Amino acid sequence: MPILNLLYENRDVQNIENLDVYEAHGGYQGLRRAVTLERQAVIDEIKTSGLRGRGGAGFPTWIKWNGLPKNFDKPHYIICNADEGEPGTYKDRELLLKLPHLLVEGMIVAGYACCGTAGYIYIRGEYVEPAWQIRKAIDQAYKQGYLGKNILGIEGFNFDLYVHMGAGSYECGEESALMSSLMGERGNPRLKFPHAPLPVIEGVWKSPTLVNNVETYCAATWIAKNSGAEYAKYGTERSKGSKIISVSGHVAKPANYEIELGTPLMELLKIAGGITGGKLKAVIPGGSSVQIRTAEQCEKINMDYESCSANGTLLGSGGFMAFNDKTDIVVLMRRTAEFYMHESCGKCTPCREGTRWIYKVLDRITSGAGRQGDIELLLDICSQIDGRSYCALGDAAAWPIVGAIKAFREEFEYWITHKRSPIGEDAVPPVPVVVNPLLTLTPA
Amino acid sequence: MAESETSNIREPLPAPAKERRFSAQAIAELEEIASHYPERKAACLPALWIAQREYEGYLPPPAIQEVADRLGLSYAEVEGVATFYTMYNLRKRGRHHLEVCTCLTCAVKGAYEVVHRLEKELGIHVGQTTADGEFTLSEAECLDFCGAATVMQVGDKYFTQLTPENVKQVIDQLRNSADYTPTKLADSLVKLLIPGSSETGGGSFAPKDLVNPAGPML
Amino acid sequence: MSDNRLTQTEASLNRVTGQLVNIKINGIELQVPKGESVIESAKRAGVDIPFFCYHPRLSKGDAANCRMCLVDVSMPRKNPDGSVILAKMPKPQASCTLPADEGMVIETESAQVVRDRKGVLEFLLINHPLDCPICDRGGECPLQNNTLFYGPPTSRYIEEKRHFPKAYPLSENVVFDRERCIHCARCTRFTEDISGDSQLGFLKRGADMEVGTFAHTSYSSKFSGNVIELCPVGALLSRSYRFKARPWDLHTQRSVCSKCSNGCNIKIDYRLDTLLRINARVNDAVNEEWTCDKGKFGHEYVSSPERLKTPLLKVDGEWQEIDWSEAYRVLVEKLKAANGSVGGIGGQRCTNEDNYLFQKLFRDVLKSNNLDHRTSGNFGATNSTLYKRFGYHAMGNTIADLENMKAVFVIGSELVDEQPILFLRIRKAWRYNGASVVNAVTSVQESSTRVGDFAEVELVYKPGSELALINGMLNVLFTENLLPETGVDTKKLQAHVASWTPEKSAAETGLAADAIAKAARLLAKTPMTIIAGREIAAHPHYEAIVNALGNLVVVTGNMGNLNIPGLEANTQGAMDMGILPDSAPGYAPVEKAGMNTAQMLEAAAIGELQVLWLVGAELLEQYPDTALAQKALANAPFVVVSELTLTETAKHADLVLPSASFAEKDGTFTNCERRVQRIFKAFEISQDIKPDWLIFSEVLARLGVGVPYFSSRDILRAISTQVPAYASITPKSLGEAGLRWEYAGDQPAPTIVVE
Ligand SMILES: Cc1cc2nc3c(=O)[nH]c(=O)nc-3n(C[C@H](O)[C@H](O)[C@H](O)COP(=O)(O)O)c2cc1C
Ligand code: SF4
Ligand code: FES
Repeated sequence: MPILNLLYENRDVQNIENLDVYEAHGGYQGLRRAVTLERQAVIDEIKTSGLRGRGGAGFPTWIKWNGLPKNFDKPHYIICNADEGEPGTYKDRELLLKLPHLLVEGMIVAGYACCGTAGYIYIRGEYVEPAWQIRKAIDQAYKQGYLGKNILGIEGFNFDLYVHMGAGSYECGEESALMSSLMGERGNPRLKFPHAPLPVIEGVWKSPTLVNNVETYCAATWIAKNSGAEYAKYGTERSKGSKIISVSGHVAKPANYEIELGTPLMELLKIAGGITGGKLKAVIPGGSSVQIRTAEQCEKINMDYESCSANGTLLGSGGFMAFNDKTDIVVLMRRTAEFYMHESCGKCTPCREGTRWIYKVLDRITSGAGRQGDIELLLDICSQIDGRSYCALGDAAAWPIVGAIKAFREEFEYWITHKRSPIGEDAVPPVPVVVNPLLTLTPA
Repeated sequence: MAESETSNIREPLPAPAKERRFSAQAIAELEEIASHYPERKAACLPALWIAQREYEGYLPPPAIQEVADRLGLSYAEVEGVATFYTMYNLRKRGRHHLEVCTCLTCAVKGAYEVVHRLEKELGIHVGQTTADGEFTLSEAECLDFCGAATVMQVGDKYFTQLTPENVKQVIDQLRNSADYTPTKLADSLVKLLIPGSSETGGGSFAPKDLVNPAGPML
Repeated sequence: MSDNRLTQTEASLNRVTGQLVNIKINGIELQVPKGESVIESAKRAGVDIPFFCYHPRLSKGDAANCRMCLVDVSMPRKNPDGSVILAKMPKPQASCTLPADEGMVIETESAQVVRDRKGVLEFLLINHPLDCPICDRGGECPLQNNTLFYGPPTSRYIEEKRHFPKAYPLSENVVFDRERCIHCARCTRFTEDISGDSQLGFLKRGADMEVGTFAHTSYSSKFSGNVIELCPVGALLSRSYRFKARPWDLHTQRSVCSKCSNGCNIKIDYRLDTLLRINARVNDAVNEEWTCDKGKFGHEYVSSPERLKTPLLKVDGEWQEIDWSEAYRVLVEKLKAANGSVGGIGGQRCTNEDNYLFQKLFRDVLKSNNLDHRTSGNFGATNSTLYKRFGYHAMGNTIADLENMKAVFVIGSELVDEQPILFLRIRKAWRYNGASVVNAVTSVQESSTRVGDFAEVELVYKPGSELALINGMLNVLFTENLLPETGVDTKKLQAHVASWTPEKSAAETGLAADAIAKAARLLAKTPMTIIAGREIAAHPHYEAIVNALGNLVVVTGNMGNLNIPGLEANTQGAMDMGILPDSAPGYAPVEKAGMNTAQMLEAAAIGELQVLWLVGAELLEQYPDTALAQKALANAPFVVVSELTLTETAKHADLVLPSASFAEKDGTFTNCERRVQRIFKAFEISQDIKPDWLIFSEVLARLGVGVPYFSSRDILRAISTQVPAYASITPKSLGEAGLRWEYAGDQPAPTIVVE
């Protein structure tokens, strides 16, 4: 059964966003069970579950949880990364909107297991409606004694949860940039290990800090309730459990689907109602930062971390975009490049200058001024960014371009030699003229 | 060669006039929010939201100076933050700021056609504001509701599944609405941070007066 | 008052431990302190790693952004079976922030690294305008140099570069060429880490990002000039130097700034006889590598057309240009005729050599002790209060000491104007070492750079209420039992301040009682130091306040940490050289004290001083009682002024002697911490402008005394034989960094003084 509604078990229950309904459906049982265990035992449950970070990198969650000092010498901050910004991904949006208590509960569990003292949910500024659900959930949880002092009557178990709103920046989803932003700064990334201590040792405000994605905390709630061993029954050898995939693009039923990790890509496509408007041409399986795959390559891909990377792409954050054969890949990449150019924080040279250059070259190609050698130039620029930038945004800007050139090189060549789209005029809608870029501040 | 021959040297400007627009309630909100963090500086983003609300939907220099003063930061620090994030308005916007997502999925699902139709309906280009000050149109990076492409944000509200055909309906509805303005958006973003505000009716998370042309989609 | 101390990464990054680790760079094995940046370790091995954003004195937390210093790194990794393999890190690492660790193996010249550098330079150059021919930085530009050695020979970028209007003015002194900026964040980090005004920051983001261009405010820092030197391209430029020269046209001379008593080490860049710019020279004991704007930009006077080029004699109220022999003839005649009724004022801006001869001329030949370098402040006895209790005349601490203080009390000082470098050190103590700072002032300056910005407590007290404030603090220290055991009997003091409750003190000073109490608590630390400024130095109750502050350092166990630094370039040297009515060089008491400045002016005002000689002393500007100064100048029978230009004061003289600026002579200055430092002659504007020592020497010769001194070296040799404190001071021993002299003999025992 590829659909595996663990987190989504009660998604469609009326008013599940309300605490009473949530509790009636087993809500806060995970927390209640967790607090009967030793803190370490909760972390061990997460270890047994094999849960990996759902924010994109797939890093084993328990290692982070286990990394925070096991004492109360300093405040420990539990942060939820709800800055969902990856094009193609909208799973966190739905979790916040419909299952806010699942997240709140997961964060309290993490707070308990990691000696947390306060938590922040960093929600992207655009997500006002989802944020209101979280606000409501937190307010209800305080009332019910799930947050605040001596939670569930347990002496000394204090945990506060705050909402923090972003203000429009994709980069702030990157965990160190998120920390900068939370501390009231520009959303620039911070030095990483080994250049600086790990966030679990020194994150925000010189204190141990845990950053996880919304879905990761939600899964932790499920694990706390049902046990790690139960979770580990699903999925593949190294990719355990379920993953919510946001399906969009040319499909009949675009939506979030929670599937068992390891589900074949084509099967997911079928669940989403299949391709519309033509034949399947390509899929980006994990959000705009990962490599695009041709229809043929898709046949072999299963939706799990290992299979994706074995097939030259990544599961990423689960932003699954399918494209039909009317799609011009070069134009698509131009738009992708525009996104990264716009979202680069500007801190480091390769990303600041490189993303702009990539965009300029692709823009040139798609306006009919491509030159021989441009493909090599693009590959070179990408290789000069990938792995050289300050944070992974640079990598994420380079990978899709390299992936697209590898998979659809002939389309790039076609554009360069024929100065027009291999698909036809329709595939290239005229781009609006931006008269007055609003981001730009002109001196008075 | 004298300096002035080759450059547009002008004398440095005096610091912006110290204006104080934060109401007593705004100050109370700021203090409440600042108490959530171990350092006052962390309240910079929220303080800018408050300023954006108090200064009629955007951040003129005195607004930035006021935030700087209230948080003990320098003008440059606050200006750096305000110009980093796209949701802070450095110039005045129309009463409704239409931000159409033209990122990947939206683009392939026809976002550009939606933008062009909007341009035609409103008689402006992207980046401009209509003469009556009613609408500002801009492109947005991914709003992350890709399944519901094309998506548009107006104030604190998303409109989904837009097509060139149904945008006019949205505009007509907005024209008569006092909601979804930059000030309302800023107000929501402030209230969201205040514990207990969901009970005092701060939230507009179940908008009643507007319906999505194509119905909500999740 | 914001607490913007270093972020967590910064605090950890600066934690270089004493432990040594073994690393290998390009096959060279070496031991370095664990945690040291690899780029620094490479320097030890003689390996060059190119960089832009890295700077040893700026924070690393915001650095590592240029990516120029990438290197390949491998680390030993233990296999499960216990064997160790060398694992290469998958990505190249920025060596400027990478802490050295045991077993690290670094490659800086691998094919990949070479390619990466080319890549970074190609990126940097796509938007950097290639207007090097008209760029001030051309020829001394790190971007040019790195491109030459590491860059690609061509660019593949054919699109249009980013364009901005050229040369946007940031401040009075600095212009900003936005197109050239490579976003290294050195300037922005400087304003945050070092000067503390945080006035420069990045705006916008991505490829649009730019350093604050001040559409709405201006850059008013007192240290703005440093960013010009920090900028690795020609983006930040000096308005006064812009388009004036090519760097290879310039000659450079080592020197020491003459604008204040801190004695910043500088380099003078000049062409022919024109001083074009001043850059900082590194001296870790003094200015590290910073300068203040006064020093960096305030040098137009040196090459100003206003400079006097011949002696001037006033005949019937008209100036007449005369030659030196005539000048000397008149002068010697007057000096002889005066028969000891002579007075000399000045010397704070002169070298030690100038001053030594100045006093020698007066004491040995004219037989007068009417000498004083002070033109303002109090004119009390030299070896009084501070010296008696603590055994020194101005500063007990060194400049470098200040950064290790746990608490600092600044009182009565606009520190950033009076002592800019002490200001930077104190800020460093606060920012890097967590020192608590208390600032007490009577009026608060509207400046962006203030001690108050980082002081934990700022006390703005009513003028004249210093004693009430100090007594209130002492009261808190006693009542709250915050004082360490010092072995000094404090009972009398305790009784004396018993009535000075914080409330009473608050009522007198106009402060809040809890602010006084809080300040007192912060200062109950060792080491704690006090810096008293101009307000105190010129205070009518100077003695009493100094004694009270003295009690404060004694009871908190901080003997010797009370500083009242001099204010001008060589105030300290003038004292050391005996430009004082009551002490000869080396503070040897004189038999019969002469007149101090105030007394000389009073005498002159009633025509009782025959000759008044002012050496670099702008009485009309500096002397508090202008009316008296004016009267003295009018009524003294003969006034000689040695000056650079015809100042207001000089206009009242009878004879004006054109003297050389610090750029035109050799010699030594002694800074506020008693560091003797050399200055060197850079150029000569006119043969008829003479260094003061030469004028004195030639007058001495004309008075027929001994063999004249022919060089400042001769005089320094004389000083070192005559002045015990300067015994070990020779041109050689001064070296690059100068030498600090110490008082000989035992320090006085701590005492309490209660009036
Ligand atoms: C450019 C960039 C953007 C990112 N955006 C997000 C995001 O929007 N949401 C998220 O959860 N993680 C995002 N991440 C991943 C985070 O850095 C981090 O890995 C994640 O928050 C850790 O949580 P997890 O372990 O639960 O996945 C992003 C990473 C990069 C490099
Ligand atoms: S102006 Fe100069 S110092 Fe400042 S960021 Fe740009 S290149 Fe660096
Ligand atoms: S010098 Fe290391 S990244 Fe700039």
